[in-house]
Amino acid sequence: MTDNNVPVIDVRHADKHFGKLHVLRDISLSVNRGEVVVIIGPSGSGKSTLCRTINRLETIDSGEILIEGVPIPPEGKKLAAMRSRIGMVFQSFNLFAHMTILENVVAAPRSVLRRNKKEAREEALRLLERVGVADQKDKVPAQLSGGQQQRAAIARALAMRPKAMLFDEPTSALDPEMIGEVLTVMTELAADGMTMLIVTHEMNFARRVADRIVFMDEGAIVEENTPKEFFECPRSRRARDFLSSLRDR
Amino acid sequence: MKKPSIRDILYEPPGPKAQRRIRITTAAALLLIAGLVFLIIRQFAETGQLNARYWAFFGRGTTWRFLGEGLLSTVEAAVTGALISFAAGFVLMRGRLNRFPVIRFLSAAVIEFTRGVPTLLFIYFFFLAVPRMGWALSSFWKITLPCAVSACGVVAEALRSGVNAVPKGQREAALSLGFGEIRLFYKIIFPQAFRFVIPSLIAELVIVLKDTTFASVVSYADLMQNAKVLISNYDAMLSVYLVVAAIYILINCLLNKLSEYLARRMDRAAERGAA
Repeated sequence: MTDNNVPVIDVRHADKHFGKLHVLRDISLSVNRGEVVVIIGPSGSGKSTLCRTINRLETIDSGEILIEGVPIPPEGKKLAAMRSRIGMVFQSFNLFAHMTILENVVAAPRSVLRRNKKEAREEALRLLERVGVADQKDKVPAQLSGGQQQRAAIARALAMRPKAMLFDEPTSALDPEMIGEVLTVMTELAADGMTMLIVTHEMNFARRVADRIVFMDEGAIVEENTPKEFFECPRSRRARDFLSSLRDR
Repeated sequence: MKKPSIRDILYEPPGPKAQRRIRITTAAALLLIAGLVFLIIRQFAETGQLNARYWAFFGRGTTWRFLGEGLLSTVEAAVTGALISFAAGFVLMRGRLNRFPVIRFLSAAVIEFTRGVPTLLFIYFFFLAVPRMGWALSSFWKITLPCAVSACGVVAEALRSGVNAVPKGQREAALSLGFGEIRLFYKIIFPQAFRFVIPSLIAELVIVLKDTTFASVVSYADLMQNAKVLISNYDAMLSVYLVVAAIYILINCLLNKLSEYLARRMDRAAERGAA
């Protein structure tokens, strides 16, 4: 049904302004099946905005974005259906505050995909087990640590059996001691062959997990490179400056 | 962990000087209150208000049954009015947040209108104007409907503030999972918004309950109306009003307790399963 040569995510010449601010400048980026692409760059470079345009939480002014070769529908049920096939993990977790952890994971499969209650629940428990928070299933999000919440949020996204996962700075809101547990889950996902687009500031993780690094600055893609080359001898001056500014800290 | 009270948030813990000041002002205030109560009672005694004939009929079962019937009617009208205003307020809130500008504008206009017009004016409208338009209403609806209309705009705004208080991330997360607008609202946004506004809704119920005291205008036999009957029967204004005021205070205190109980229960639900 789906051609393996068609990229899962294909952004073509995307442009976006916030008022006078040019946040995305002629962005073209594709992510192939099973690929892990990591976007890095200074804050305000448009990384998060790009990530959010891919399931249309932000719109673009011009250009197009295709998911498995199909342009993102502009509205309605088709848009919702497309979104349901792309998992998204947010910086601030955004677990549903009025539901238990288990209910959070079951909610969308039940009410969006109309999956059978028992099956949805069993799969949810499996996923919570996989990310290591199964013992928290009956608590509400506020009772969990940030790291546990983010892992539960990953399980919630996985419950939709997505074609690809978007991670918008998934560890930026976490206390340092909790970053590792979330990155471990993400590393396992990558090893399982999940297609992933990750915006992050965790350079060691990026180097270890990425198939490709995309470096953005001032709304444009400045450099696309393999992790090894990018971190050892970046081609662009701006990437070199960015990396050395991190080392100076 | 104990939740901090408002006082804990506003002030730091009192030191020895502040504690002394607190003790002194407390004692002074108690003295002042006692003095005032004494003056009031003396005034009553001098003007003969404590005379047994003004109070004796409260010893009869029939008096209390009569007041009880009035109270029941008051509660019926207030609860019906509040429920109607909650439903209408919900519809108006949905309209106010509608994607079509025309519906938004109309809803905003209705909300502003109902919030701006005094309840008594609505009562006159249902009492005098509506029957002339050919609709015969019972006295129950003549008091219930205007109270509901008068409250629905406030309810709509309370609900809207609740919806706006739900963090944006909740909506984004639901959208990213493929929720459509309708399910998103009813499964994710509204359940959270509703918890935020329960205290406001109960406060509005109290206001509706107090508005029903206008019932005597339309000769609906509520607590206030029956109190007026007692007053004319026994020629005892002060004692009856005092007792009736006490009943209203008691009910509204109970409603406030209910509000606190619901808020507490929700906090507990949020901590359900905590070790």
